Amino acid sequence: MKTKRWDLSRRTFIKASGLACGYALFGVRMAREGAARVLDIVGLRQDSVHKADANPALYRYRKSQNNPMVKALYASDGFLSEGPAGSLSHELLHTHYGDRSASIEGIDGLRRY
Amino acid sequence: MSDSSTYENPGAVSALSGTFQRMEGVNYRLFSPEVSNLESVFFVETDPARCQGCGKCQVQCPTGARHKQPDGTRDVVDPAACVNCGQCLTICPYRAIGEGTSYVPEVLEKLKDPNTVVVAMTAPAVRYALGECFGLPVGTYVGGKMHGALRRLGFDYIWDNEWAADVTVMEEGTELIERLHDGGTGDRPLPQFTSCCPGWIKFCETFYPDLIPHLSTCKSPVGMLGALAKTYGSEETGVVPENVYTVSIMPCIAKKYEGLRPELNASGQRDIDATINTRELAYLIKEAGIYFTALPDEEADPALGISTGAGTLFGTTGGVMEAALRFAYEALSDEVLSDLATTAVETGRGLTKVTVEVPGFGPVRGAVVSGLDKAAMVCEKVRAGRADYHFIEVMACPGGCVNGGGQPVDPSIMDASLFKKMVASVNKRFKMRRIA
Repeated sequence: MKTKRWDLSRRTFIKASGLACGYALFGVRMAREGAARVLDIVGLRQDSVHKADANPALYRYRKSQNNPMVKALYASDGFLSEGPAGSLSHELLHTHYGDRSASIEGIDGLRRY
Repeated sequence: MSDSSTYENPGAVSALSGTFQRMEGVNYRLFSPEVSNLESVFFVETDPARCQGCGKCQVQCPTGARHKQPDGTRDVVDPAACVNCGQCLTICPYRAIGEGTSYVPEVLEKLKDPNTVVVAMTAPAVRYALGECFGLPVGTYVGGKMHGALRRLGFDYIWDNEWAADVTVMEEGTELIERLHDGGTGDRPLPQFTSCCPGWIKFCETFYPDLIPHLSTCKSPVGMLGALAKTYGSEETGVVPENVYTVSIMPCIAKKYEGLRPELNASGQRDIDATINTRELAYLIKEAGIYFTALPDEEADPALGISTGAGTLFGTTGGVMEAALRFAYEALSDEVLSDLATTAVETGRGLTKVTVEVPGFGPVRGAVVSGLDKAAMVCEKVRAGRADYHFIEVMACPGGCVNGGGQPVDPSIMDASLFKKMVASVNKRFKMRRIA
C-alpha cells in the first residue's frame, strides 16, 4: 500500500533512473547540438553586428543621412555639392555592367539558371 | 582559432608549383594579379595532393563550377564560371582549397616605402571576425583594436568602408526613390537589386544578363571609397593622388576580382590598388608582432572615417535593406523615423519579405536573400514578372559578409576527424586504382 506520493517500488525506480540517465545522456547532447545550430559561428557574428548597431558607445548615429561626414560630403560647399546621384557622383560612384554569358558558353556541367 | 595543424598530413607534398604562404590555415599563392589577367586568374585554387575527393565543395558551389576530375578530386573547371565567393574554401575539411592570389608581399613593400601614402579601407564585417584569429570569442567587435593595429602596421590613413556604406545608402537610396517615382519604367525597371556584393554581380552578369537593368548602377562601397580616396581624400589631406596606394581589407575573395575590374578607374588611376582579406590582415598583424588583444580602441581617420550603425549593418544579410529603408523612409515621407523597429529586418532561411508602410507613399516592399542558389530563385521570379518587390538585397554568401570566403574559417569544419580522414583516403586510393 502506498503511503507517500513518491513511494516507488525497486523495479519502478530502476526503470525511472534508467530513463533519466538516457535522457540526460542524449537530451543534453541534443540540446547542445540544437543550441549550436542556432548560435553557430555565423549567427554569433550576425548578433554582434546588430548589437553594435544598437550600441550608442560604438555608433553615435544610426542613420546614414545623419552622419556628419556624409553631410559634409554632400553640403552645398562640399565635394559632391549636387547631392546624391548628381553628375559628379555619377562619374565617380556609379558604374555599368556587361553581359558575361558568352564567357561560359561551351562549359558543360554548370548549373543552368 | 590558432593555426592548428593537428589534421595536416605531413607527407602530403603540394602538387602546385609557386610560392605559397599559409595564413590562418589557408594556403595563399603569393601573386599580385594585374588588370590584364583578370579573366584568367583562379582566385580560388585547389591543391590536388590535399583534396580527398569528398565532394562537399561541389555540393556547396552555387554555379556548378567545381567539377570532378578523372582522379576523383574536385577543381574549378574555368575561372569564367567561378564567382569567387569562396564558400568551397570555408567548408573544405582537408584544407585543400586555397587562394590563388595574395597582395601581402606587395602591401608590405608599399608600407616600407616612405614616398607612398598607404590607405587602409576596412569593410564592416572584418571587425566582427578578426578577433577570432587572436583567441577572442566568436563575434567579438574589435573595430577599435583593428584601427589601432592598422596604424601600428604603418598605414598612413585609415578610412572606413562603413563611411562609404553610408554614402552608398545615400546614392542607392536616391536611385531607388527615383525609380519609385518613375514607376520603374524605361531602362530603370523595378525591382532594384543591390550591387554591393561582387559575387552576386558576377553571377548576375554571367547567368542572368537580362536582369542587368535591374541592378543598381551604384558601385559597391569599396568601389566608391577607392574613387573618393584618390579625389576627395587627396583634396582633404593634400596628398598627390599618384602617391596614394589604397588597400581594401575585405571579408571576401570576390572583392579581389572586383578591385581589378578595368572600369574602376574613375579617379584617373586604379581606384583600388590592392585587396586583402581578414585572414591576410590577421597574418600581417601576427607577423609584425603586434599584441592585438592589448591594443587600445582607436578611431578611424576623419573626413572618410566616421560611420553610423547603418554602415556597419552592411556586414550582415538584411543590413543593406535595413540601412536603405532608414534612409528611404525619411526621404519619401519627409518625416523623422523615430522608432527604428519600423524598418527592422529579421532574416530567416531563404527569402525574407519586408513591407514598410511609409506615410505619404504607401507600402515599400523589399526582399532579402543570401546564398546564390536562393538568389537564383528570386531572379527566376523577377524574370517571370512575378516579383512585386521594389528593392531586393542579394548577398552571395549565406548569412552575408560575416560568413564571407575571406573570413577566418570555422575550426570545427577545418579539422576533419581521424575516422573521416581514413575513409576519405581509402576512397581516394580506390578511385585512383580504378583509373590506372
